[in-house]
Amino acid sequence: MERAGIKIEDVHLSFGETKVLKGVNLEIKPGEFFAFLGPSGSGKSTLLRAIAGFGPTPQGSIRIGGRDVVKLSPWTRNVGMVFQSYALWPHMSVRENVGFGLKERKMPARQIRPKVDAALELVGLQRLAERMPNQLSGGQQQRIALARTIVVEPEVLLLDEPLSNLDASLRVQMRRELLRLQRQLGLTTIFVTHDQEEANTTSDRMAVLDGGVIQQIGTPQELYDQPANLFVARFLGTANILKGRVESYGDQARFVTATGDSLSLSGSTPSEGGNIVLRPQNIQISREAGRNALPGKVLHKEFLGSQIRYLVEAGGTEIVVDQSHSSGVDWYEVGADVHLLANTDNAVVL
Amino acid sequence: MRSTIISSVAALALTATGALADGKITVITSFPDSMTGPIEAAFEAAHPDYDLEILNKKTSAGVKYIQEIAGDNTADIFWASAPDAFEVLKTNDLLASVEVASDGIPDKIGAYPLNDPAGYYYGFAGAGYGIMWNERYLKANELVPAKEWSDLAKAEYHGHVGMSAPSRSGTTHLTVETLLQGDGWNAGWAKWKRIAGNFSTVTERSFGVPDGVNTGNFGLGIVIDFFGFSSKASGFPVDFAYPTVTALVPANVAVVKNAPNEKGAITFIEYLLTPEGQAVLLDPAIMRLPINPKTYATAPEGFPNPFEDETIGATVEFDVEKSGARYNVVNSMFDVMITYRLDDLRAAVGAIQKAEAAVAESGNAEAQKLIDEAWALIDANPIDEARSLDPDFAAIFTKKRKKADDEVGQRQAEVEQEWDAFVVENYRKARELADKAASL
Amino acid sequence: MSYSSPPPAKRQAGLADRLPGWLVPHLSGLHIAALLIALLLVGLLLVPVAQVMIVAFQDPATGAATLQNFVDFFRTSLFRESFWNSFYVSAMSVVVATAIALPLAYITTRFTFSGSILIQSLGFIPLIMPPFVGAVAMQLIFGRNGTVNLLLRDWFGIGIPFMEGLNGVILVQSIHYFPFILINLSASLRNIDRSMEEAAQNLGSHGIRLFRRVVFPLAMPGYIAGAALVFIKVFDDLGTPLLLNVNNMLAPQAFLRISSIGISDPMGYVISVILVVFSILSLWTSFLFMRGKEYATVQKGGGGMARRELKPIEKAMAYGVVVLILLLVLSPHIGLLLLSFGTIWSYAPLPDGYTLANYVTMWENSKTYILNTVLYAGVAATLDVIIGTAIAYIVIRTRIFGRQGLDYLATAALAVPGVVLGIGYLRTFHSIDVPLVDKPLASWWVIIALALMVRRLPYALRACTAALQQVSLALEEAAESLGATKRRTIQKIVVPLMTGGILAGFVTSFATAAVELSATIMLVSSNNDAPLSYGIYLFMQTPSGRGAGAALGIVAVVVVAIGTIASQIIIERDKKLRASGEQR
Repeated sequence: MERAGIKIEDVHLSFGETKVLKGVNLEIKPGEFFAFLGPSGSGKSTLLRAIAGFGPTPQGSIRIGGRDVVKLSPWTRNVGMVFQSYALWPHMSVRENVGFGLKERKMPARQIRPKVDAALELVGLQRLAERMPNQLSGGQQQRIALARTIVVEPEVLLLDEPLSNLDASLRVQMRRELLRLQRQLGLTTIFVTHDQEEANTTSDRMAVLDGGVIQQIGTPQELYDQPANLFVARFLGTANILKGRVESYGDQARFVTATGDSLSLSGSTPSEGGNIVLRPQNIQISREAGRNALPGKVLHKEFLGSQIRYLVEAGGTEIVVDQSHSSGVDWYEVGADVHLLANTDNAVVL
Repeated sequence: MRSTIISSVAALALTATGALADGKITVITSFPDSMTGPIEAAFEAAHPDYDLEILNKKTSAGVKYIQEIAGDNTADIFWASAPDAFEVLKTNDLLASVEVASDGIPDKIGAYPLNDPAGYYYGFAGAGYGIMWNERYLKANELVPAKEWSDLAKAEYHGHVGMSAPSRSGTTHLTVETLLQGDGWNAGWAKWKRIAGNFSTVTERSFGVPDGVNTGNFGLGIVIDFFGFSSKASGFPVDFAYPTVTALVPANVAVVKNAPNEKGAITFIEYLLTPEGQAVLLDPAIMRLPINPKTYATAPEGFPNPFEDETIGATVEFDVEKSGARYNVVNSMFDVMITYRLDDLRAAVGAIQKAEAAVAESGNAEAQKLIDEAWALIDANPIDEARSLDPDFAAIFTKKRKKADDEVGQRQAEVEQEWDAFVVENYRKARELADKAASL
Repeated sequence: MSYSSPPPAKRQAGLADRLPGWLVPHLSGLHIAALLIALLLVGLLLVPVAQVMIVAFQDPATGAATLQNFVDFFRTSLFRESFWNSFYVSAMSVVVATAIALPLAYITTRFTFSGSILIQSLGFIPLIMPPFVGAVAMQLIFGRNGTVNLLLRDWFGIGIPFMEGLNGVILVQSIHYFPFILINLSASLRNIDRSMEEAAQNLGSHGIRLFRRVVFPLAMPGYIAGAALVFIKVFDDLGTPLLLNVNNMLAPQAFLRISSIGISDPMGYVISVILVVFSILSLWTSFLFMRGKEYATVQKGGGGMARRELKPIEKAMAYGVVVLILLLVLSPHIGLLLLSFGTIWSYAPLPDGYTLANYVTMWENSKTYILNTVLYAGVAATLDVIIGTAIAYIVIRTRIFGRQGLDYLATAALAVPGVVLGIGYLRTFHSIDVPLVDKPLASWWVIIALALMVRRLPYALRACTAALQQVSLALEEAAESLGATKRRTIQKIVVPLMTGGILAGFVTSFATAAVELSATIMLVSSNNDAPLSYGIYLFMQTPSGRGAGAALGIVAVVVVAIGTIASQIIIERDKKLRASGEQR
């Protein structure tokens, strides 16, 4: 199967007066599993649909395997798309649904049949070939939709929130299956989701979108550890953000918070910006003060099983702190005066 | 006098409350609003204590309606053109025999007796059938108006003629029957079928014919005179003429049996026969022939006067009894042979006309023989006159169970199917012969 | 209709003895309502129709029960031909109506197209003109010597037989009844999720193929519903073939035979039976076909309805098609308008001159007709929505024994030709005197309103059922859990939420009842009781009255059209309100 890369350059798109995409640039490598992550309204689905050829024609260029497809009709692009609603046609059987694209390509019927069977086998549902879509469960419909798309051997596979209509346990199973299939076929795949866990677990790289603009592109770890801006920091995982300023003394630098507390920064930390991002697991809570300590007061606590999550007022904001739990460990009552010890090695100043 | 005043005051009061029960006269009529309106207005002005309730129905539907409601009659007057419809009601014992004062009204109009001898119904106006045509249509198609019935059978009028079916229109029935009586049973039917071969359409209502001529849907129509006169009076580019063989027949009015307001009904009929009542007939929208000869003094220029012009409607002595005896048979035959098989008939007659035109040039005797054969097939009748007048045969078409053990030999559907097979086959053969003749 | 009617209640108890025990203690207000409606429908529909149908099974000579009449029917070639003609005309009308409705429905629902609401409303207008009036106007425009053919002959020397024989019936019927397909098909098309089409495009399908393989099959249930209605209506319709002088069809044959002088030949009744049976059969077939095909295609997470943008060239073409079709379907109205303002219109493309005189004549003579129409159609439509709502509620929300029967019975009115109902009423109600008025029930004006009510009940019932299906059961349960009784819940929650649908039902019933002729022509017992369509009919029976009749027709169309468009706007607004409510 041919592997195609995708190159998106300066794509703008509006619905009437509303600008939905504002200058998107992106390159996806052949065979890559790539995720578009963002809140609803960020433009991630619009971008995906623009690649497939749906919705208003964008400005800029979208190249698939070197071919600019912006002006092409959806049916000439040879990209496969799996819809959030699956969009299985209720008046056709599973076999007819899966064979649809091949029939459109004028393939003789005797060639269609084995291909459909193979595609169904790939998703493990060969036995359901003669069923009607309304006789299938959600997960089965999802797989049929996938089989229907890959059977036509598209250059690119586009998945629009493919797991959002499944229940939690099925979702985990399906995303593994998706990944397995993608690796097996080596298809360049774009996966749109608003769920960071889905994006983190499946994608080689991902793009975080907000307000029609790509905020950051990278591997899931890069984006978590090195968020390019506050939006990315907040959107991926929980982030405690303290306002303040960086003060440098030679090769030493420290971050002074709005309340005047200071946190020393390790050499590797970039030292420009008025915010410091601290992940909850990089903060220790203690009754005693120490190095890089912020005094605070416990506002609220939640027992989560493996962890206890505290909400502490400190450094001029409310800070989330996760403490791993084991029996016999010290408890901090609501209202207790505590100190937060920040491990600034993993902190990011933005 | 005093009682009149009192009753008119009472009537006024009752009109205000919308009841007027005592003076209400319910009239079932086939006449259009444009005719009943002026007469109603004139009558109510002359007799303010009465209120006419007009219910417009086609003649046939009106008869049916009176039959349906006979068990608990609410109608006072039946008022329509066709004498045969009155004959049917009279035979069914649904009309009342009444005495009506009628000064100055002659016994006959043309050759037709005006009133039922036993007083079941009375003539109030005359009407005769004729040919109506659209000037623009004829000019555009380079035709001249037909003068006689037989002219309508000429090839040049093919597809230009319209007529109503006798089963749908009482007055049309009269025309059909008049020709059958005038020319004889077989010759009469032959003439009808040859004319019908030129039909554009057979309309479902009698008004469909003047309507078709008025709009120019077809060029010539076989209509009753007042449709022609009133269409012309309304401004349409149409004209009307009586052919020599026509029947002047009275339009009639009768009191329905067990009428809720028989006194009112008689008053209305008497009013129709007064000079004032007769004068209303000359209203441009009505244009019926008054039966009071004096009324013609006030008629417009050129309005025909049957009491002076002896050529109108004098030729045929119309036999009402004969007509009544085979009323349904004639209707059914016309429908089976013409109305329902118009396409076949038209095609056959058209083919013969084409063949005749070819023979006129070539003079081929063999072709002429084929054409004669073809005409004979068109002309052939499924039954003869004697059978049409046989009461047992007619009963098939009028069966209304009187007693549970009344037996009728054949069913109407059976007879009609026989006729249908007969004419369809004849028309098909005639067309074949004509095509053959044309190709010689 | 009073609630203190012990005999039915007693009979119910008697029946209940033989029914499962759970039924008896539940004899609630709803049960009583169901029973009353059932009695009403039996009295106003079943009994009168049976009165007519029974004649078909009697030996005309002896009155004994027989099937001979049916044997005669099928032996008579004229009847076989009529049957075939009726079938052919109905089927072709469906085809032509589809050709008219499909582009309108597709363009207005699937593309951003300004004027969609207007087009949808205009598309409804042909339905509110009495078909016989349409036939008159169509003759003037498309007839042998109508405007189009006169012009064609002048310019090119050719004529097109639009209105000859069966063609004319097909054309007039298609133009009159295509809105049934338009309305149902549009609703179905609106419900097709965008992703259904996009998935197909994504797999390489587009254009006609996309429409044929995906869009149309998905819209099939709506299409079949509309097409079945058109088929039945055309099959039963009497006025149009009669006016066009086409006799070789079943309905005219029945009418001609039943209403002719002296012919008490049972064939007319046999044809009535065949009309009714065939109509019920068609309805039933369409139900069978639609079973299990009610695709709820607007899906969770779907894109909802997609309106695509058209390219300028496509847009121009689309407007061209729409304008052409609208010109065609509104041609009866255009013809009628010209006729109403014209002086003399004879063998000419247009009237000779223009005048307002027709409107003056009309206004002087027809106030009664207009008032009567508003009264009758108003009474009928009001009763229709009340009964329709009740039946819809009973069928959807209760488990009352025989509730489906109620639905079928009300719907069966669709299959009863107006003439048959009219004759049945005359036969059934003539011997019943109305107290105080001192008239037989058959000639009391109320009977006309009741006939109209029965005839239009199926329309109102469909609208009410659809509206109720959109009211979530949870909303009712919420009210009941807060202590509202069933009655209060229906009053305060269900009916207000159904307003849009009820209104739509009212308008459809009112508009179509206002122009009904076939049943009323049999039942009008005095010109003072005549409704508008009958008034037009009377006007049109005289040479001088054609213009005035046309003017009255225009008044009818304008009045009903304003009502329709207004309600359409209200319904759209209601829909938007609902849609925005759902999003939050």
